[in-house]
Order: sequence, then C-alpha cells, then structure tokens
Amino acid sequence: MISLAGRDILHGWVRFLMTGFGLGLLIGVTLSMAGIYRGMVDDANVLIDNSGADLWVVQQGTLGPYAEPSSLYEDTYCSIIGMAGVARAANVTYLTMQVRHGGGDVRAMVVGVVPGGPGEPGQPGFLVAGRHLTGGHYEVVADVKAGCALGDTVIIRRNRFRVVGLTRRMVSSGGDPMLFIPLKDAQEAQFLKDNDMLLQQRRRTAQNPGFNRPNVPGLLDAIIASQTTSLYVNAVLVQLKPGYAPEAVAKDIQRWQRLQVYTRSQMRTILVDKLIATSAKQIGMFLVILSIVSAAIVAFIIYTMTMAKIREIAVLKLIGTRNRVIASMILQQAIGLGAIGFVVGKIAATLWSPFFPRYVLLEPGDAIRGFIIVMVISVLASILAITAALKVDPAEAIGG
Amino acid sequence: MSGNGIVIEGLQKRYGSGDTLVDALKGVDMQVAPAEVVGLVGPSGSGKSTLLKCLGAVIEPSAGRMRLGEEMIYDGGWKIRDLRALRRDKIGFVFQAPYLIPFLDVLDNVALLPMLAGERNGVARKRAMELLEALDVGHRAKAMPAQLSGGEQQRVAIARALVNHPPVILADEPTAPLDSQRALAVIAILNDMARQYETAIIIVTHDEKIIPTFKRIYHIRDGRTHEEAGEGKSPHELIKTDKA
Amino acid sequence: MKFKAINKKTVRLLAVLVPLLLLFFYVALRSGPLASVPVTVVAVEKRAITPVLSGIGTIEARYTFRIGSVAAGRLKRLSVDVGDMVKAGQVVGEIDPVDLEEHLGAQRSAIKRAEAGVLSAEAQLRDAKAKQLFTASQEKRYGLLLQAHAVSTELVDAKHQEAEAASAAASGAQAGVNAARQGLVSVKAEYQGMVKQRHNLLLVAPTDGLVTSRDAEPGNTVLAGQTVIEMIDPKTLWVAVRFDQLQSAGLKAALPAEVRLRSQSGRSFAASVLRVEPLADRVTEEILAKVVFTVQPVPLPPVGELCEVSVQLSSLQAVPVVPNACVHRVDGQLGIWVVDGSALRFAPVRIGATDQAGNIQVLAGLQPGERVVAYSKSTLHAGSRITIIRNNGKGSLL
Repeated sequence: MISLAGRDILHGWVRFLMTGFGLGLLIGVTLSMAGIYRGMVDDANVLIDNSGADLWVVQQGTLGPYAEPSSLYEDTYCSIIGMAGVARAANVTYLTMQVRHGGGDVRAMVVGVVPGGPGEPGQPGFLVAGRHLTGGHYEVVADVKAGCALGDTVIIRRNRFRVVGLTRRMVSSGGDPMLFIPLKDAQEAQFLKDNDMLLQQRRRTAQNPGFNRPNVPGLLDAIIASQTTSLYVNAVLVQLKPGYAPEAVAKDIQRWQRLQVYTRSQMRTILVDKLIATSAKQIGMFLVILSIVSAAIVAFIIYTMTMAKIREIAVLKLIGTRNRVIASMILQQAIGLGAIGFVVGKIAATLWSPFFPRYVLLEPGDAIRGFIIVMVISVLASILAITAALKVDPAEAIGG
Repeated sequence: MSGNGIVIEGLQKRYGSGDTLVDALKGVDMQVAPAEVVGLVGPSGSGKSTLLKCLGAVIEPSAGRMRLGEEMIYDGGWKIRDLRALRRDKIGFVFQAPYLIPFLDVLDNVALLPMLAGERNGVARKRAMELLEALDVGHRAKAMPAQLSGGEQQRVAIARALVNHPPVILADEPTAPLDSQRALAVIAILNDMARQYETAIIIVTHDEKIIPTFKRIYHIRDGRTHEEAGEGKSPHELIKTDKA
Repeated sequence: MKFKAINKKTVRLLAVLVPLLLLFFYVALRSGPLASVPVTVVAVEKRAITPVLSGIGTIEARYTFRIGSVAAGRLKRLSVDVGDMVKAGQVVGEIDPVDLEEHLGAQRSAIKRAEAGVLSAEAQLRDAKAKQLFTASQEKRYGLLLQAHAVSTELVDAKHQEAEAASAAASGAQAGVNAARQGLVSVKAEYQGMVKQRHNLLLVAPTDGLVTSRDAEPGNTVLAGQTVIEMIDPKTLWVAVRFDQLQSAGLKAALPAEVRLRSQSGRSFAASVLRVEPLADRVTEEILAKVVFTVQPVPLPPVGELCEVSVQLSSLQAVPVVPNACVHRVDGQLGIWVVDGSALRFAPVRIGATDQAGNIQVLAGLQPGERVVAYSKSTLHAGSRITIIRNNGKGSLL
C-alpha cells in the first residue's frame, strides 16, 4: 500500500510547506508568549536566587524590598547577625531609577551591596566580564542589558561610577537591568536629595529663626548636617547556617527584632503571585486566545485542505477505499502539518527570543507540552475534516 | 470468474416520502452476459444515473433483485455486508471525466485498487503496468494525470476499472469529452477488454457516435427499461469509416 | 524523466525538511537547560598581590583659625574678604569701640588730675617738713635757753608742742603724697587696661594664611566668642579619609597613597598616610585616617572637595591567586569551579585578601596551574555542560 497522504503532500509540497511555515510562525508566536510568561516568572526566581539570601528582613508590615518600599536602620543587621542560625547578614538597598550612561539614560535597578567579597548576600552570582566590586567607592557591576561596557562611566545621581564588571540575567521584576554599586554610594543615591533641593532645604532651615540662633553659633550647621544623614537600608539579606530551618529563624527575628521576615518561598510568592500577577494574567489570557486562534486556524487549514480534495475522496470511496484509509490520510496530513508547524515555530521562537527586551524562557517542558497540544489540536482539527470527508457520498463521483 | 454476468429484476428506487415521493426507478430488468457490452440510453431524468448508482452499490434500491455473477447482491435488501469491497473487487467504474487521483502517478492510480484489496505493491504495480501496456499508455506510467491528454486519461481510467478484473464495468458517459475518433477508440478498447476479461460492460451514454456499436441497447424511460437490438457495428470499422 | 519527477520533489521536500530538522535540534540543544554554558577559564597563578584600600575623603585644613571678638560689640570694619591672603599680625577688622575713646580721654584727664594731686601733696609735704624743721630748731633753742633759765618752762613746753604738731603735720603730708601717688598709679593702670581693651577690639591674624570665610559684615553686632573671620593655613591641607572597616586591615601610617580629586578626575596626586585615627566612626562603620599630599597641588583644591583615596598596602606573600569573579557560593560553601578536562568540579576554597584589580588570594583548596572558570553565561551547576570559549578583547562573553 502506498501512502496516500505522503503522495498528496509530495504532489503539492511547496504549498504544504508554505502552509506549515505560516502555521509555524503562528505557533512560534504562541510559544514565545508562553516563553515571555516563563521569562517573567524566571526573572523573579533569578532575582531571588541571585540575591543569595535565605531570608529577607524588611520593615515591619511591608512586603519586602521588591514589592514595596521598606527602610531599616543601617545597623539593624548587627543585631540580626547575632541571632542563632544566621551565618551572614548584609545590608542591601534597591532603587529603580534612571541612570545616565553614554549620553542617554537607562532605566535600571540600582542595588547597593556591601562589597564584602564574592559569595556575600546581594552580590551578583556570576559575571560575564570584569570583576566584582573590590570595596572601592564609585564602582559598578552592571547587567549587560544596561548596555554598558567595561570601563564605561555611568552617572547615578551626582556621582560617576566606573563599570568594573558585567553580569547577565540580573533584572528586577519589572525587567530593568540591575546595577550593583557599593552600599554607601547607593545609600547616598537613594536618600540624598539633589543639589537644588539641598540648597532650598538649607535656605529654609536657615530662615527658620528657631534653628538659626545668633547666640548659638553652630546650631544651624548641626541641623543641616543632621538633615543629610542617610543611615537607612531597604532590607537585610540573611544567609543561614546549615541545618537551621528558615521558618524557625524567621520567626525568631520577627519576634525579637520586631521586623518583617520573608523566606525564599514567601518571597517567591510575593514576586510571582503579587508583583507580576497582573502582567502574567494578561499574558496568560493572550496565550489562551492565541492557542485558540492557532487551533482554529489549524482546523480551518486542514478542513480546507480536505475540502479541496473532496472529489478525489469521493472517487476513492467509490473505487472502494476504506474509511480508515481516507481518515488516516487526512490525519497523517494534519499531523505532518502540525509537526512542521511545531518545528518551524520552535525554531522561530528560539531565533527571535533574544531580540525581546525581556527575557524569554523557552522551557523544553513547554516545548513538549506545546508539541502535544499542537498534535492534539491537529488530530481534533482533522476529526472535523474526516467527518466531512466520510460524509461525502461516493455517488457524487458518478455524475448525475 | 464472471459467471452469469449481471442480472437485474424489477429493480425499483423511490426517493423521499409523502408529497415529495419520487419513483426514480419503477421496474428495471436487465441482463448482461459476461464479455457483453450493452448500451443504456435515455433522456435526462429518465433514471439512468439512479440505475447506475444502484448498480454501483452506491445507493440502495427500494425493491427488486440484483445478481452479480453467481452472487445475489440485492434482494429487497443488500445481501452483502461490505459494499466497498464489492465495489472494489466486483465493479469497475469509468466516468464521464476520468477522475484520476491527481496526486498519484498513472501507474499508482491504477495500482491503487489492487493495493486497496491487499495486494503487495510490486504485484499490484506489475498488474497495473500490464494493463497500461495493453491500453497503450504504458509509456506514461510515471506521468502525473494532469500531464496526460483526455484520451490517455480515459484509457488510464479504463485500466483502473479493469485492474481488479471485476465481472462488471459500469461506464458513465465515458466518451462525452472526446471527439468521435477517440470516443470510438475508447469503445473499441472497452469491447476488446470485455472480450479479453469476460467482463460485462454497461455503458450509459447518449453519444450518437457510439450507439451504433452496441448489439443490445436498453432504453430507459420513466424509470422503466426497454430492451432493443442495436446495430452491433464494430467500433474498429466505424473508426475507419469515420476517418474516411 | 518520469521517475525523476517524484524523486525531484522528494529531494526538494527533503532539502527543506532536513535542514529544518537539523536547525530544530540545534536550536533545542543550544537554548534552554539542555544548552551548554559558554565559559571562559583562567589558570590559577601563584603570585603576590598588593591589596589596595580605597576610601572617600574630603580636603580639610589641618588648622583652622577662627578670629572673633572677645567682647560683644558692633563690627566697625572688616578689611579682608574670602580668598585674601593675610600675614601674621595683620589687622583684618575692628569692633566698634563705641564710647571707649571718651572713656580713655576721661581716664587721661584723671591721670593728669592725679598727677596734679601728687604735686600738691608733695608741696604740702615740703611745707610741713619746713615747719617741722623750724619748730624743731625752735624747741632745741628754747631748751638751751631753759637750761640757761633764760626762758620760762611754759614757753619751752609751748615750743615742744609746736614742734610735735609740725612733725605730725609732716607725717600727714607724707601720707597725702603717698596716697596721691597710689591714686596716680591706679588711674594709670586703669588707663592701660582701657588701651588694651581698645586694642582687643582689633581682629588680628594669628598666622599667615588664607581667609576662607567671612561670617559677619560691618555693622553686625557680634557676640563675645562669635567667629567673624575663618582662615586656614593652606600649607597644611590634608585629606580626611574614611575607609570601610571591612577592608581596612593593614592600614597604617606612612603607607603610600594616591588622591584623585573629584574636580580633576583624570589626575592623581601622590600622598601618604599621616595617621590612622584612634577613634573610628561607629555609626558609619568606617575607619578614619589623615592623608597628606607629598607635594601640594597647584592650584590648591578647595577645602571640602570630595576625593577618592587609594592606599597601597604592603605586598602580601605569594599564594595562588584567581580573579574574584571565579569565586561562588554554592549551598553556603565558598568555592571555585575547576575544569577537569571537560568536566566541572566545585572546589571549596578558603579565600584571603583582594587587590584593587579584583584578584583574590586562595589560601586553600586550589593548586597553581589548575584551570578554573572565570566567567560563565549563566549560573553553573554540578552537572552543567560547558563550552570553553576564548576571551575576546574586552573579556566579555557576548
């Protein structure tokens, strides 16, 4: 027995391939959409993993440094480091801001880390170039997405920072690249006002007769100095000693330090379920619609393909071809179309994913799921066509 | 193999019911012996197509009897379960248009039937090739149907109808699109084949050119058949005279 | 031709499908978790590193002089402005003396009056002394006369009484002179005091230096102790530097340093650590130190300018050294990814000091010559497949 489906495909192979390519691009869009969603979730997970923390200590009653503003006294970590089970604790600040670089500006999340050395909480996990902060001021390790090269200068608020290291996949939950700078500089950047504001504030303070007292020289200076202190951080990242349960330590810190503490899983919940929930749902909705559209288009294509052959099918039936043979012909073509579509889609999605501004994660699991779904849709779509084909009266072949 | 050819007695077909009731066939009696070629003529709406469809086991008659060779296939109801296999193995079809499968080459178009019947590809192709050679289109075996001329296509269609050596071939206006030369040539082939394979052939036609070739003609009018003798001229002769 | 018709189509279809499938497998293997991670490797070197400490400082003057009035008063004049150089002893301003001049005049008159009083007291003394002399000689004469009985006893007694009175008057006159003289001294001292006070109202530069601030203007009333002029000695500029406590091990006086001024980011100035302050800042967790320029920069940087200071610590012993980008923390354990052939092994290490260029000492866990992963395109795991690629010029994996 020869393969009717194969012969048919071969007969119109250009058209078949074109259809497959077109379908593939559509499937590629769908896969990309899933990839964008995965990428968002993965960005959140990477954000959590790369912070290197087991616990996040933040201001009481706030949702952590990423989802809500939080500020703690800088020396809070000293008391945390003394708690049982805490191996390391490090201050960290997060501030999303416009960073000037090379004439333009980049939206970036400036992370202030204690330049304690590699492996300390808050430090970028791996580099693609350069080095980690070595403790100096005015150095920055930037995500490559910020568009910096080693040795470039970026301007954060009033200070110029030299790019000493480059990292990858370090983005905030909003997709902004991260810039790691020494904590002290970051505090300055976060809590320092701009120059004009400082001047105005000084003038206001100076005009206040209560502060500017002639018989108390130096009071004004002291007050102005006290207005510009920046002794806050956004969070304390805590690494645990082996063998301690994060929940237990978190509970201790919560009870005795009266601060909010999140464990890794809680932070993941906050980031994934709260922070990116709406955009994820948005994408999910789009994904559902795209899948439905793709399924409908596959169904239409296969149906149309079959309907174009209705005469031949009638002849085949008349000359005694079994339904099974006809059905399997349509089914094989549908599956072949789906397979080509999937292959093209997967290739397309992979090839264009680096050009997306945000990370697109194409999981093999998703690809397999996608393949199964494409196959199921192809089979379902061919059922429609098969039903139509089987309804064809062989008598139609006989004129009359 | 061919036994008694085809025998039809009192075949009736009625469509619809109540007000829309149409008696397409009111009582058809036909008898075609093996190796015999008969004509079936009649005006449009006379029931030709309906008869052909009943004979082709595509639609079910309402009453009567049909016998193919030794086998009673219809007697107030189908006596055979697998009508498809019946069509495949016992009945050959030749249509007004060749209706070849466009995505199969000529050889496979013909070989498809034995393959469908479970024959191995090689055997089926060999048989098909023999027939194509016999029908003088062997040299086009690997061409696609669209590359053939009308006459060639019709010969391929005949080969397809014959390939399973059915006892009966039903030909529905096989010469309609052809000029008289080619039409007669086709009829000549059918006659030759009928002899060669002892096949009973029923040719539905109203083509004046070929009617003189039939020895027997069934006229169908108002759903009833009337048998009359034909001129029974040899198609080969006619071709010659036509040429002259 | 007929056979070729099918074959040609099959070949064409395969010509499209096969590359497509190859591309598909390539794509599936090159992206996602199945993909191998591009990494760059470096060899562990054994060498000495020189850790560098960097800190932030501000230019400060070693000595700041605040010139102000010792008494409350109104500022009468101010002859210097910010940026002026002044010499030691130069009068830079004056507090309005108000009625001090009049008081001085009155005091001068009082001195004259006291001098006249002294003169008149001295005249009286002379007069009294003359009287005493005369009466004493009278008494002596009458005493001789009495021995000769030339006069009566009563007369002699009278003369004696006269002489006694004259002596007392002389003593009195002497006391009057003394009193007048004391009065003169007192008035003069008072005058001197007033002159000094008058002088005190002058604002005088204590040393050669540069006026850095002018905090009051003529006509302003200033309090006792309030600064009017602030000046520094520009020859004594230094940098007050703050170093993070975390990395300040080994910081000590006399280490060479480099100062980069914020205003002149391209230039650096040689300097050295003068001293490390015994008190650290407990709020900012920084160690404070003073760094002095080897040669004073010209022009002088403004006081208060921010600068970066890097101090070269003394060279450490030669041990295996890797870039700090090699060091990772996996499951709470610091370590380095070592490349064994094409396999990846996580070697736990103990790390030491870091230098400015990001080289870090590996005190234990690695041997010189071992190849370790420097940069990777994503996080590495024990089972990660790696592709070793060569560093391009910029050392980037992109």
